[in-house]
Amino acid sequence: MDQRYIDNARGVAVPACSITEDEGLVTVKLEMPGVPKEELEVRIEGNSLEVSGTRRRAEERGKYLLRERRADSFRKRFTLDETIDREKVAAELADGILVLKLHIREAAKPRKIEIS
Amino acid sequence: MDLAKWGAPATRDLWEAFDGLRGDMDRALDFFSLPDAAGLLDRTTAPAVDIVETEEEYLVVADLPGVDKRDLEVSVTGSLLAIKGVKKAEGNSGKRKVFRKETWVGSFSRTIDLPAEIDPGKIKAELKDGVLALRIAKREEAKTKLIAVNVQ
Repeated sequence: MDQRYIDNARGVAVPACSITEDEGLVTVKLEMPGVPKEELEVRIEGNSLEVSGTRRRAEERGKYLLRERRADSFRKRFTLDETIDREKVAAELADGILVLKLHIREAAKPRKIEIS
Repeated sequence: MDLAKWGAPATRDLWEAFDGLRGDMDRALDFFSLPDAAGLLDRTTAPAVDIVETEEEYLVVADLPGVDKRDLEVSVTGSLLAIKGVKKAEGNSGKRKVFRKETWVGSFSRTIDLPAEIDPGKIKAELKDGVLALRIAKREEAKTKLIAVNVQ
């Protein structure tokens, strides 16, 4: 394979992501295969939530016959709105998938007002 | 409330407008920065694989995020290596709202024809952080050998 192609194939990728909400709990899943916990960073700064992870590709001695796994690192940025509770963010990494759990603030949840 | 004089200030930098525009462009591009493994060009049925050959063995590395060890099957026939598996969906509660779904679930398979005969008895498999690494030894007869030539 063309060496230039192989070099171009390396870089920063945007991880595939899914976002769901269930009764005030927002679950964000990011697929980051090969990123160990130590190389993962989840940072909240103001309204931005940034996730970045690096995978150390053990540079194997030998000849690459095929090189399809593209990224060496992953990066994704989200903007949080006011309804998300910044203090209650949980992150868990398992099997190459990062799961972020964000809570919607009590005050932002829809409320029904009883009429007296 | 701003107590500034209405209208554009006289000392305004002409390039300021472009700074704002650049910010808008950056945001737009951020929105369009699609994941590298989703949508039309997704490897839904064949995970991305690296293959490295050394004198002794082949190293096959595949990205399989979210795949359980029990749902994965690796088999060898001659020089053909097959990786099959299922990525299972989690339980779905009725009230869940989906905002974005770039990930996929389902079965996948990938068959790789390795250049030399491999030894099915000597495969080491490891699944860690969603990455499958297979170390496959070459057969003795497929290894490169050095033959000393005596020059008369």
